Amino acid sequence: MNSSQQHTDRRHFLQKSVFGTAAAGLAIASTSHASAQTLPAAAEPEVTSDVDVLVVGGGTAGHVAAIQAARAGAKTLIVERNSQLGGTTTTGGVAFPGLFDAWGKQVIAGIGWELVKESVELDGGSLPNFAKVPERHWQNQVYTNQFLYAILAEEKCAEAGVEIAYYEFPQAVTKTHDGWEVDCAGFGTKRRVRCKQIIDCTGGAEVVGMLGFPRLREEERQPGSFLFMLGQAHQPGRNQIHRLYVHGADSTNSRTATEANLTGRKSILAKVRKEGKQLMHLQPETGFRESYRIEGETMVTVNDYTSGRVFDDAISFAFYPVDLHTKTGVRPKPLKPGTVPTIPLRALIPKGSRNLIVAGRCVSSDRLANSGLRVQASCMGMGQAAGVAAALAAKTGTTPLEVPLSEIHAMLREHGQIVPGHA
Amino acid sequence: MDRKRSFVSLLTASSFLVLSVTGIIAFVQPFSIQVVGLHALIGFLFVGLIVLHIGNNSKHLSRYLRSKTVWLTSGITVAASLLFFWQPAPVKRVLGLSGNLGPALERFEMTDDELSFHYSPSPSYKMALAVRTGETFDVDRPPQVAIWLENASFYHIKTLLQPTESDPDLAVLPYWDFKVRGWEKAKREAEERESLEERMKESGIDAITGATQASSFDPAAYILPPESDVPMPYRLLIEIDQPGDGQPSLVYAVEIDNADPRAYQLLELMGYPKREEDDEEGKEVWALYYVDERFDSALELIDSALLTIDRDGEIHLPKSK
Repeated sequence: MNSSQQHTDRRHFLQKSVFGTAAAGLAIASTSHASAQTLPAAAEPEVTSDVDVLVVGGGTAGHVAAIQAARAGAKTLIVERNSQLGGTTTTGGVAFPGLFDAWGKQVIAGIGWELVKESVELDGGSLPNFAKVPERHWQNQVYTNQFLYAILAEEKCAEAGVEIAYYEFPQAVTKTHDGWEVDCAGFGTKRRVRCKQIIDCTGGAEVVGMLGFPRLREEERQPGSFLFMLGQAHQPGRNQIHRLYVHGADSTNSRTATEANLTGRKSILAKVRKEGKQLMHLQPETGFRESYRIEGETMVTVNDYTSGRVFDDAISFAFYPVDLHTKTGVRPKPLKPGTVPTIPLRALIPKGSRNLIVAGRCVSSDRLANSGLRVQASCMGMGQAAGVAAALAAKTGTTPLEVPLSEIHAMLREHGQIVPGHA
Repeated sequence: MDRKRSFVSLLTASSFLVLSVTGIIAFVQPFSIQVVGLHALIGFLFVGLIVLHIGNNSKHLSRYLRSKTVWLTSGITVAASLLFFWQPAPVKRVLGLSGNLGPALERFEMTDDELSFHYSPSPSYKMALAVRTGETFDVDRPPQVAIWLENASFYHIKTLLQPTESDPDLAVLPYWDFKVRGWEKAKREAEERESLEERMKESGIDAITGATQASSFDPAAYILPPESDVPMPYRLLIEIDQPGDGQPSLVYAVEIDNADPRAYQLLELMGYPKREEDDEEGKEVWALYYVDERFDSALELIDSALLTIDRDGEIHLPKSK
């Protein structure tokens, strides 16, 4: 189709579109399109951001890391490929984060707990009584309103001074003399970020992978879960939500994630047809349990995890059964009474890297340990610790691993976190 | 006369034969109402025949009674009766071999330093619980103890040991009491439902709708599920309380999963029971809470509690004392 035909067609279209009931809207759209032809071809603006800390991924660990880094005084940018913060808790719909307690005591607090508590209180919900012995391990998960949580996370970011960039994701990462240059792309946006520290909270350690540091991945991943409500209204923050397994769910890249979402939705459609009930709620995407893990400066093994080993450089507690989902379901192995695993700082540092730290389910760990470490409260704890380490490293011009542990612990305590080995 | 004697003798012999065979079967095989019923009823016939048999042979018997042998036989009878009545460990071991009597051996024993309990729902599934008493356990004034099993949904399925407290209004072990009451109520409701369903059936109505008790009330259905690879964990719990110590009772528990068989498991302290607000339907609710600083001597009643399960006869269970 040549240019002259386009003009003819457009005129023709405009002549036609002035008639009829839908004419106004269509005419406006057409007019806008016509003017766009006069703009320069390079329509994508290039944005440059100079920050101390770049957080990649605004999920369970990422938004906490960003808020913490900004509260610690670091100029912070968070890029998120989706349209809201919260990740698994909001977009995935697993709006019952846990576990913040173990054996009658709270073991994870800080910014994650602040957000969860505030959203529950604002929503008129109820918090679990940690003094009560849960009959099942998940009973002390906190029922949270996923929609409210996402908005509150944005508010906390704004209050702390975090800049949020939705729909963007890194395309290339280059090392500079004092940090990184990260090229991000979103639709209609190209952003060049110059930063001192990167916190990779992508879940699958995507930035770590781009930089060529080794990552671990199982041949077969745990199934993901697609959350929905069939035949009854979803009451956010109040009731359990229906879910089905998406076998083979893989969040490695946009193609595998697309496949998982298509598979999940297809299964839900089949369920709707079979049960003949109204589909009342559907999350926008699959909740993924497992993808890449980093090979860190140390690795948390299942023995470390189940024995409650207190690492010398522990920065956070974790608490959940060993919880490996398979094709046939899951048989959680509860931890022995009194056992509270810890997460070492070195498990957040990709082996041999500088100015780079991860937080979340990609923590350096073996598969069984990871099946317990991957849950939200533990990821929030990691996120806050990574935020502190990155902010202090940016401030002193060093790398997170070289920040004195006592300073990290002191700042974590100052920001409400519970630190292993300290009163 | 001879004909009458021979009739009684032959009938005594034939009924003795039936008694012997059914007796052996009843000992070896798991309980069967046919076998045990036959054994018991033929036993009554046999008693009658023995009376007639003694009558027919009274002369011989009176001569025997005057002999010195009678002292020996009486002694053997008295000794055997006492032995089998008191059932020392070797006798118990013999009884434990029985497919019928073995499962009935729910034995609880208490010594200065240990409470032991044996329960065997089948000859191939034997449980032994050894509770080592702690520093504050007073044998002369023993605490109240209940041991029970719960299914995967935390419903009571069988009490293995009841507290000795005689006052039913004084629930010294409130958690066990709450669980048992719930079980009894559910059982009653299930029986009423079954009876109603039967009456409806007799009236020509196929079925009724309503809440049905999907769960079985037979402990074996949980302990020995037909498909052993299907996870159906159950729990063994102990509630213990020393009346008058000013501290609530304590609950210890262990989860048993036949799909993940373990021979030895230690019970863990779960917490203390506390009544919650009734639920929306007005039902009583109890929960366990983690122990706090109020507890001191109560924590020393039990030193440790070890559960041993012999699933295939390969584990040497702790002996009864």
